[in-house]
Formats: sequence, structure tokens, C-alpha cells
Amino acid sequence: MQSNIEDLLRELAPQVLGALVRRSGQFDACEDAVQEALLAAARQWPKDGTPDNPRSWLLTVATRRLTDQLRSETARRRREETAAALEPAVPGEASAYDDTLTLLFLCCHPSLSAPSQLALTLRAVGGLTTAEIASAFLVPEATMAQRISRAKERIRSAGATFAMPPASERHDRLRVVLHVLYLVFNEGYTTSSGPELNRADLTTEAIRLARMLHQLVPEEGEAAGLLALMLLTDARRAARSTADGWIVPLDEQRRELWNMDQIQEGVALLTQTLGRVPVGPYQMQAAIAAVHDEAPTAQDTDWPQILALYEVLERIAPSAVVTLNRAVAVAMVKGPLAGLALLGTLDADGRMAHNHRLEAVRAHLLERAGELVAARDSYRKAARMTASIPEQRYLAMKAAHLA
Amino acid sequence: MKYMIMTFGSAEEGVKAMGRDWMLEMVAFMQALDKDLRESGELVDDHGLADGSQAKTVRFENGIPVPTDGPFAESKESLVGYWIVDVDSEERAIEIASRIVAFIKAPIEVRRVMDAPPDF
Repeated sequence: MQSNIEDLLRELAPQVLGALVRRSGQFDACEDAVQEALLAAARQWPKDGTPDNPRSWLLTVATRRLTDQLRSETARRRREETAAALEPAVPGEASAYDDTLTLLFLCCHPSLSAPSQLALTLRAVGGLTTAEIASAFLVPEATMAQRISRAKERIRSAGATFAMPPASERHDRLRVVLHVLYLVFNEGYTTSSGPELNRADLTTEAIRLARMLHQLVPEEGEAAGLLALMLLTDARRAARSTADGWIVPLDEQRRELWNMDQIQEGVALLTQTLGRVPVGPYQMQAAIAAVHDEAPTAQDTDWPQILALYEVLERIAPSAVVTLNRAVAVAMVKGPLAGLALLGTLDADGRMAHNHRLEAVRAHLLERAGELVAARDSYRKAARMTASIPEQRYLAMKAAHLA
Repeated sequence: MKYMIMTFGSAEEGVKAMGRDWMLEMVAFMQALDKDLRESGELVDDHGLADGSQAKTVRFENGIPVPTDGPFAESKESLVGYWIVDVDSEERAIEIASRIVAFIKAPIEVRRVMDAPPDF
């Protein structure tokens, strides 16, 4: 299918769904109806041409599907209520963007598990088909269809409605939305070998949705921060792995492969945001990524600034992972032994007990400190603990070099 | 006909025994195999499993399910990876397995997946 039709359908999907749900209030039935309209468009428009008013076309077809669906249901009361509420499609409604934001909140409802939030967001807001989502997450299509179906039932039984969350909940709900988009980005950002084209599409999709969100809530610093973080991280994608799928760590990456446009956009976003709104963890992580991305070579990296940023991040959003990352910065500024000492404080932390990253960082610092036997053992331990094959190979190789 | 082709043991033992050049060759071999099986249309699924040390085994003891750390089988005999291939004959499944064995020099099990229709 031509990519411009595909892009158009994805863009219109949440607008059409929002308009339909606004009228009929039955999110799950509307979502199915819109899916069918999208599939119909994907079949017909390449042959018959794109209609003059594509949004109106989709809304009309989805409405028709919905009424057919309601007509065939046995619950008479529901049929009468909703059929009365449905009006013919009206093009050019002003609430299109508000609807998308409402939809995003609905799909990221706290009653849903993370995999369900991801799947539902990608379908209802991202406009991806069930098949595309299944393919991206490497599960069978039927499994993904069930996941989405059950997610919608769950939303209904949780009593969620198609309305913006009350002001008192909005901050927390927005944080959930940001986390879901971050998870989508992360899913796409795993290094892999083989024909994993779908993974790159997930990253692109996450950036697209984050950009959409930023435009919907331009006053929210963390939405800008998340988009900046994604751009600044994705900018390095081409350099992160070799053609054979081996991981290339940051200090060994060929920086001429980094995407300068994404870096510039990320930095510009941060410049507009930092200091003007309450700072948050995504902004801080983006700022750290920006310092890395602005260094022409690994040796030019401004590690003292990165350390200072981690210290702020640790104050506003402390976690064992942040401490771990700060230990790396400490080692770069004050030497490997100082970094190792900080890692020692994490050993007693239950959250880190099964985390391979602690061992991997420890191994790296031990190697830098010249403790090669201890480093080798740590690399091996980390290799046993990771669930990522490229990472396992990388760590095993590091150990093998010290054997 | 679908067959599961299984490898056992631990990646770490392999690397410890054989060294880093072997590791590079092993990765290249696995990627080439995966590519060939995709291109021939025979690959259904393949995965590596986490190291046996990360596994948990849940047993039924004194009337309740009890999880403990560690794999079911002895580490060196514990499942560590598999391919599921859809092939014309058992001979072909064994041929694929033989290619792997020639490289890793360790035993591989080939077992039919039960997806045959009943004979009535």
C-alpha cells in the first residue's frame, strides 16, 4: 500500500475513533468499527483513489459498521439508546485533537497491564492493525487480538468513560501515558540481528506518538522531555550495532553515523523547556543524552556535567538504576575505584539482586581498575544473568578477552 | 512436518572451553543458519533461552506447587535453545541438526511436534 495512504489512515484513526466514541460512548464497539473502516480504506483507496474528505469517509463507514453491529445485538435497551444517539457524520469538527488526547488517556488507563496499554494505544491511537502490532511484538495475531479485546472489556468494567481525567488525576495519568510511550520506544530499541524491521518501526511509531502528545500538551515539560530523550537516543541507532548484530558501546561508536537532525531537534526542545517548567526525570535523562550527543568524540564527553545532571536526577527521581548510572559517571570523573565503591552500596539493594546491569557495570569498572580476574568473573556472571542475546554475546566476549 | 531441534548445556561452558575466536565463528554460524532456514521457508520459530542459572523449577511437594531456583535437568543437560522447523521429512530435520552438530560438536535432539491430524 502506498505509504502516503498508510500515513493518512494512521493520522486520521484516532480522530475518527474519538468522534465516534464521543457520540456513542461504547469505546470497544467503536474501536472495532473504526478498525474495520481502516481496513476497508486500505483495500479500496489504492484502487478507487483517496476520497475528497477522507475523514468523513472513514467516519461514515465506521458509523455504518457500528449500527450494523448494534442492530445485531440482542440487548434491546442498549440498541435503542445508542441508535438514538447516533447522528450522520459531520466533517471538520474542532474537537479532533482533544479527542486524541482523551483517547490516549483512555488507552493508558491504570486498570490495564502494561502490555495491554501498549497494544491498545498502538491500535486506537497509533492506528496500527492488529497484525502489525502482533508482528512488532512477535506474538501470534490471534493472541494480540485477544489481548486488545480483553483490554477494552477491562476498561469498560473499570467504569472508564470517554472524558478527560479530572484535573486532580491528570498529572498521574499523564505520567502513565508517558511511561507507555517510553515502553513502546524501548521495545523498538532492543538491538537485534536478523530481519527485525518491525522493531525500527516501533521506535519510529513511539517518536510519532510522543510528538503528537507534545503538540497536544505543549505546556507539559515532561512530554517535551520524553520526545527529546527519544530523539537524542534514536539519533545513535545506526552506530549502536554492527552489520552482524554485535553491540557497539557508546564510547566505541562511530559518531559520524549519528543522526545530526535528530540531535539538533532534541537539543532545541530541551533548550525551550529546561528552566521554564518544573524539571522532571525525562527532561533530565534527555539532558544527559544531549551532553553525550554533543561530544564530537568519546574523549570530549563532558563527564563532570553528566555527573552533576545525575545528581539532580537522583534527587528528583531516585532509583537503583539512576545510582548505577551515576556510578559510571563517578568513575569517569573520579576514577574507577570511586565508582566501584558506589556500586557496593547497591549490593544490599534488593531491587538490584537479579539485575545483570549491576554486574556488567562492575565488570567494566574492575577492568578499568586493572582487576582483570575479578572483571572476567563479573562479565561471566552478567552474561549468565542477561535476557538479551546480543548483550550476552558482548559480555561473554569481554570475558573471553580477559581469559 | 514440524520438528523441534534442541540444544543443551550452557553458553558459558562453550565459550570457556573454546575461546573467543570460536565465539565469533559460532555467532556467524548461527546467523547463517537462521538466514538459510528463513530463505528456504522451513523456519517456524527459534529462540535462545536464558542461562540455566536463571531458571526456576516448580515442583509439587507435600500437596502444593513449590518453586526453587535452578533448571529441571542438570545444567549441562538443560535445554538452552531450540529451532522449530517445518520440513518434508525426518531426514531433512536430521540433516539440519547434523549441520549444527558438525559445528558445535555436542549432542542435539530432534523431536517431532505433535500436529498431525488423526487418521480416521
